[in-house]
Amino acid sequence: MAGFRLIELAKPFVPLLPEVELPYEKIGFDEKVVYTIIAAIVYVFGQFPLVGLAKSVVVEDTSNAVLDPIYFLRGVFAAEPKTLMEFGIFPVVSSALIMQVLAGLKMVKVNFKVRQDRELFQSCTKLFALLQSFVLANVFIFSGYYGSGLSVIQIILLNLQLVLATLFVTLLIEVVDKGYGFASGAMAIITVNISTNLVADVFGVNQVPVDSEGHKEAQGAIINLLQSMRSSHKSFLGAIFGAFNRDYLPNLTTALLVIVLAGLVCYFNNFRLELPIRSTRTRGVNNVYPIRLLYVGGLSVLFSYVVLFYIHVAAFTLVQLVARNDPSSLIYKIIGGYAPSNNLLYVPQFPLSLLTPPKSLLDCISRQPLTPITFTAFLVVTGVWFASLWQHISGSSARDISAQFKEQGITLTGHREQGIAKEFEKIVPLASTTGAAVLALLVSGGELLGLKGKGASIILGVSCGFSLLELITAEYQQSGGQSALTQVLGVSGA
Amino acid sequence: MAKGGNQIEKLAEAPVEFVKDGTAFLQKCKKPGNKDFLKIVRAVGIGFVAVGVIGYAIKLVHIPIRYLIV
Amino acid sequence: MSTPTPPGGQRTLQKRRQAQTAKDKQQKQTPASTRQAGFGGSSNSVLKLYTDEANGLRVDPLVVLFLAVGFIFSVVALHVVAKVTGKLF
Repeated sequence: MAGFRLIELAKPFVPLLPEVELPYEKIGFDEKVVYTIIAAIVYVFGQFPLVGLAKSVVVEDTSNAVLDPIYFLRGVFAAEPKTLMEFGIFPVVSSALIMQVLAGLKMVKVNFKVRQDRELFQSCTKLFALLQSFVLANVFIFSGYYGSGLSVIQIILLNLQLVLATLFVTLLIEVVDKGYGFASGAMAIITVNISTNLVADVFGVNQVPVDSEGHKEAQGAIINLLQSMRSSHKSFLGAIFGAFNRDYLPNLTTALLVIVLAGLVCYFNNFRLELPIRSTRTRGVNNVYPIRLLYVGGLSVLFSYVVLFYIHVAAFTLVQLVARNDPSSLIYKIIGGYAPSNNLLYVPQFPLSLLTPPKSLLDCISRQPLTPITFTAFLVVTGVWFASLWQHISGSSARDISAQFKEQGITLTGHREQGIAKEFEKIVPLASTTGAAVLALLVSGGELLGLKGKGASIILGVSCGFSLLELITAEYQQSGGQSALTQVLGVSGA
Repeated sequence: MAKGGNQIEKLAEAPVEFVKDGTAFLQKCKKPGNKDFLKIVRAVGIGFVAVGVIGYAIKLVHIPIRYLIV
Repeated sequence: MSTPTPPGGQRTLQKRRQAQTAKDKQQKQTPASTRQAGFGGSSNSVLKLYTDEANGLRVDPLVVLFLAVGFIFSVVALHVVAKVTGKLF
């Protein structure tokens, strides 16, 4: 195996993979805004129902149906059940994260200095994403999630739709990544999608049927409150109680919790250690170099959820595909099975439930008392491990910063030039791991209160938003603040 | 044997050490002041809601299409 | 026999520095990510996936956006076909 390298596997496929061209000239600030927003909007628009589902699924005949087993992971990956974005950006993001981590651990041998290697690595990541979506699609198809008794044509159609959807998600992300948009396509899509969901949950006016008698309620928590206060079949107090407590749709309690979590992330995001620096070239120029507590931003949470997704999909494959969710089978006894809830969700049972956020705080205490410990521990351990690795491999490690300092003729006040790297080596890993632990605790805190993935997604959304905002403002200042868009909007943001 | 015990001890100490270092770091950090914090929250809030409204508008387009075809 | 050089002093420092630079160099030679090699890529808080241009099927970004929308509408069209024919294939 000495000469074998994983990335070589991608070689025969390279000519077939679509590649977005790099921009010939520098893209202006306004164009970037437009490209980023359009890419994200196309994504949101892509959350369109799949063609080829079995009739029973469409009409919601839910006796014995296979329901959504990964409902609590969907928010984070911008995935909508039974739409083209069934898996959202998961295949793309997970393959990129896993590949980059493997390369960082030197388990995949890539020489990033050689252009050809970099290209192969990239093509390999892309292929891996497509492969994952293909596997996931077939796991879901054959588990009966899209209904039983699908014809061959339906199976082919579903496969085509899901894999092509992933391909387009890849390309949308690539458009933004390659410099037509701001920074990172994946993060822009996550942020836009999460904010969309937040708005839909709070102010959504679309009516959703909630019971068999044909009563409908608004999706948005506030709209629902107003509506049911005026509605005839509910008392005034009952309306308020219902608005805070309904568990089939977003309620005011979760909305408030989500907003509190968002505020907390904002608060922690501005924790930073300011190191005094001075220029070695000009005297008397003193400044501070901030090192943020959330050094790796929301990426540690994203990684934890990627791992969680793998675990749950593997469990789903075993329990549903192999054992058919049969309580008497051995697999069910070892891993745990699924119990349907509200005709919508598949709630994992005991051993598997250890890594599943509970549906509500009450559920958590009465039915899965061990979950708080295991779930929190899982998030903290994976998050911290990832953070300590990522700060080292991502090109922003202590060594990289000190090299950058040397280049720009900056030094830390009170340290010799040789001491800079050492000083950073003390601070940067500590900052990133502590930040990851804090975020993981926030996420698990939110999730254990029964936010069903909304807690994790809002935390990820806000922290990704911050990372993007930082880059956007930097770019805005670089472009000299000349932007037709901001003039139109009257400079509202930032 | 003694060495093994030592290692386990070290392993058990690592989280404690981490928590200690972490809290020390948190205390050293510069925290946002009240005024700064409000400003940030407002900026992020406006941005989030603005983007969310655009996205939600797109999602609303789906509703009539779904109604027509399903 | 030459007199042994006393420990410490200039030479040790020099040696140390040499070892240090050698170590630095070695570490630099095997960057762990695209960005560390100095060609863009993910930074500490931003996940970047695709930054190099491989020799694949080259497409223009605008074409990508239009194709994506076209793909979604083709799915819509499939829905319509399925509804009109009354049966799911």
